[in-house]
Amino acid sequence: MAPLLEVDDLHMHFFTRDGVVKACDGVSFTLEAGRTLGVVGESGSGKSVTAMTVMRLIPEPPGKVVSGDIRFKGESILSMSEKDQRKLRGNRIAMIFQDPMTSLNPVFRIGQQIAEPLRLHKDMSRTEAWAAAVELLDRVGIPQAEERARNYPHEFSGGMRQRAMIAMALACGPDILIADEPTTALDVTIQAQILELMQEIQQRTESAIIMITHDLGVVADMADHIMVMYAGKAVEYGPADEVFYNPLHPYTWGLLESLPRHDVDDKGALCPIKGQPPSLINLPPGCAFSPRCAYAKPECDKKVPPLVEIDNGHLSACLFAGDIDFICQYENRVKRGEDSGGDV
Amino acid sequence: MRKKQPTGEQVAPVSGDATGAAAVASTEVLTGPARSLRADAIRRLKKNKLAVAGLVWIIIVILVAITADLWAPYWLGDPVAIDSTTAAERMLLSPSVDHPFGTDKLGRDVASRVVYGARVSLLVGVVAVAIAVAIGLLMGALAAYYGGIWDAIIMRTADVFFAFPYILFAIVLIALLGPGLQNVFIAIGVLGWPSIARVFRSSILSVKENEYVDAARAMGSSTRRILLRHIMPNAVAPIIVYATMSIGGAILTEAALSFLGMGVQPPDPSWGNMLDDARSFMLTAPWLMIYPGIAILTTVLAFVLLGDGLRDALDVKMKE
Amino acid sequence: MIKYIARRILQMIPVFIGVTIILFVLRSPGVVGGDPIRMITGERAISETLYNQLVERYGLDEPFYVQYATYLNDLVHGDLGQSYNKSRPVAEILWDKFPNTLRLALAAILIEMVFGIIAGIISAVKRYSFWDVLVTFSTSVLVSLPVFWLGMLLQILFGLKFKEWGLPYLPISGMSSERFPDIVHLIMPAITLASVSTAYAARIMRSQLLEVMGQDYMRTAAAKGLSHGMVIWNHGMKNAMIPVVTYFGLDFAAMMGGTVLTETVFNWPGIGYEIFLAIGQRDWPIVMGATIIIVFIVMAMNLIVDISYAFLDPRIRYGRQVA
Repeated sequence: MAPLLEVDDLHMHFFTRDGVVKACDGVSFTLEAGRTLGVVGESGSGKSVTAMTVMRLIPEPPGKVVSGDIRFKGESILSMSEKDQRKLRGNRIAMIFQDPMTSLNPVFRIGQQIAEPLRLHKDMSRTEAWAAAVELLDRVGIPQAEERARNYPHEFSGGMRQRAMIAMALACGPDILIADEPTTALDVTIQAQILELMQEIQQRTESAIIMITHDLGVVADMADHIMVMYAGKAVEYGPADEVFYNPLHPYTWGLLESLPRHDVDDKGALCPIKGQPPSLINLPPGCAFSPRCAYAKPECDKKVPPLVEIDNGHLSACLFAGDIDFICQYENRVKRGEDSGGDV
Repeated sequence: MRKKQPTGEQVAPVSGDATGAAAVASTEVLTGPARSLRADAIRRLKKNKLAVAGLVWIIIVILVAITADLWAPYWLGDPVAIDSTTAAERMLLSPSVDHPFGTDKLGRDVASRVVYGARVSLLVGVVAVAIAVAIGLLMGALAAYYGGIWDAIIMRTADVFFAFPYILFAIVLIALLGPGLQNVFIAIGVLGWPSIARVFRSSILSVKENEYVDAARAMGSSTRRILLRHIMPNAVAPIIVYATMSIGGAILTEAALSFLGMGVQPPDPSWGNMLDDARSFMLTAPWLMIYPGIAILTTVLAFVLLGDGLRDALDVKMKE
Repeated sequence: MIKYIARRILQMIPVFIGVTIILFVLRSPGVVGGDPIRMITGERAISETLYNQLVERYGLDEPFYVQYATYLNDLVHGDLGQSYNKSRPVAEILWDKFPNTLRLALAAILIEMVFGIIAGIISAVKRYSFWDVLVTFSTSVLVSLPVFWLGMLLQILFGLKFKEWGLPYLPISGMSSERFPDIVHLIMPAITLASVSTAYAARIMRSQLLEVMGQDYMRTAAAKGLSHGMVIWNHGMKNAMIPVVTYFGLDFAAMMGGTVLTETVFNWPGIGYEIFLAIGQRDWPIVMGATIIIVFIVMAMNLIVDISYAFLDPRIRYGRQVA
């Protein structure tokens, strides 16, 4: 049987006046039912574009899928008719957006907005859909759901709005839930609640989740697989534990080092990655990360390193990922960090 | 006390992450290095063909108006004086080589009158708007910087002015002050300040809320210094845009007032009073109304297009 | 909600006082125009007795504040004074003319709504297309067009030339005749009065819709599986229309002022034409009375707009003060 979602060498480019922006440049992954994929990277790394392309939410033009394919249960989404795509959207594949403040329509009641996909996809009557919306609100932990459904978005707090967004996404019982930085705009305490809610929902509904975040910590507990993206490309892909404990790409190292790790050390200084992500119009000829990479060698600027399997199911796009000595540099650094942290 | 602006803007904070749909669509975040602001604005203005066309037309009209004395009376004929010996045979001639825009009911050359009418229109546009801008800047600055009671009084006064439909207020004012160019300046200038004051006040307030002004204040800069160094350069862009557009509006207002017989008085030519004269000869001598009308339309349009171009180039957000 | 309305009404009081003071000052001696009796009599020479009689009759010998109080009192009682020339109460004269102006303004608003909204939507939805460029440029032209000139062009073409060419033509003057049904008389004046406003309406509609189309909630709507058209129609229009509807309200009031030009060009017997004629005859009570009525309509429309705004936008309805 075909996997739930296959993304195969996807290239989504934007054709702008200033040049072609290769926002998503050869991304591949598969997602099985009930599993969670974490997509991690900085702003502008192409992670949101990849997700929005799966949803077919990128306006074309300026966007255009140059090559590659997206298959849902073996059927290509890209070659479907617009009408069939819409039948998937919000129904089989649903999305939760980053900013719950602006993602809800200010002039419609919360209940109406949650009922909308049900009326659209499930042919429910107004009253049926409203009742279902109230139930959904209750399920995502909104107290007095009946009354709250009649509220407008501005009467909800940020956390409650994100719960409402989740209820909206869950309405039709989707196979895939794409969450684009669902907690970034929220307070830290609310973040944990929302993540908990999503995990709980996954256990109950068996939905697959694509969790997009710039924060490796967010996907640490949740994800089965992690894909790290940089400048429109996947630079590392593998089982979550593998990526977390045996990272094979210097960019991932950087992300991990810039993360406060409770399991390793609370007192050691965080090391943010230096420099800015490159312009996606004029990418350097070699590895896009090499200008910021502390371990870069001359070879890095020669050609774009391909994403290759290093370990069982663990892929990296670093030329030296197969080199034990190279990888050990990171291990040693982490250890040193631990030691010095211990001394203080 | 800020006047409520009737839009939904205040509820939509800017999305923080560059991966949002808007950023994806525009991709501006990803482009080139920062250029100097003014050079950038000029570059963008140059790209806007309509705005450049507007600017070129404005320059032509200005040159024509300034140099009119040197050539118009000789090539075309005197715009005002009536030659009683030839008036009878020269009146209401249709356009020809001698009189490219024809002649009017008193035998005067229409082209010459249109050329001299440009002087009136430009003068009104510049002087009246200068008056409005001067009062508006003062009032806006007082309201925004001192706030409190100053703000309340000035902005309520502006509200009072806004309660009068503009053209009606201008007509009533001139009716009371008496017709004439000077009173047209006064009317348009006095009626124009509240808009300028509002624009200036809100741009000062928005700059004032910016962090770098807080930073400057924290570093001990004086009020006046902050106003000059930080606020003025940022608040000046909307004023330039607004003033450019207002010149077009002032030219239209003068034309309307003169059309109603309340602006420039005959025999002096103004595009508006020429149209008033033309009304009696609409069928027999349509050229009398065509050319002054085209002159108003193209000149005002030039200012509108230039204003639009400046707005886009300077990235000024404005209510229509 | 009631609190909000009450607040808006309270905020109008200072504006009301300001407006009446300005109008009072404008018709008072010494501020503008010098001697008010001279304003009445114009160039005519009058005897001293008549002069003093006039001063007494118009209460000009009273102190300033008494005059203002009398003025306010008269206003509240709907007394706008007596016309100098027609020896009829101003209120009565204007009351006769008002329905004509109202008819013209309503027709113009209708034109403005239909064409403004449609043009704005087309131009926003088909952004950067030929239609967008056409709409954007023609709104610029309309805004730059002197309305009275547009009126004259229409008169020449559809009135005079069409008649000359033996085509069906339109009446160029007045609001009724034996030849034409009343509605035909309305066509050209209404188009003329609506021209500038339609251009602004289209621009506002366009910019509002464009702004709304860039909002996150539009993306959310698309993510639910709604078609592009449904996203714009169901989710975009309601948000975009709120400022447009309020614009129509304010513009209706502004049109009242614009009628002076349009009615003069078409000899339309409304308040605007009456003002024009009264100015020529120095019949100040009519000018002032008409101005007051129009200003009151503007203020009333402002209030209605504010209230309807609250009905349309839930964020205001539920007591969130934006002011």
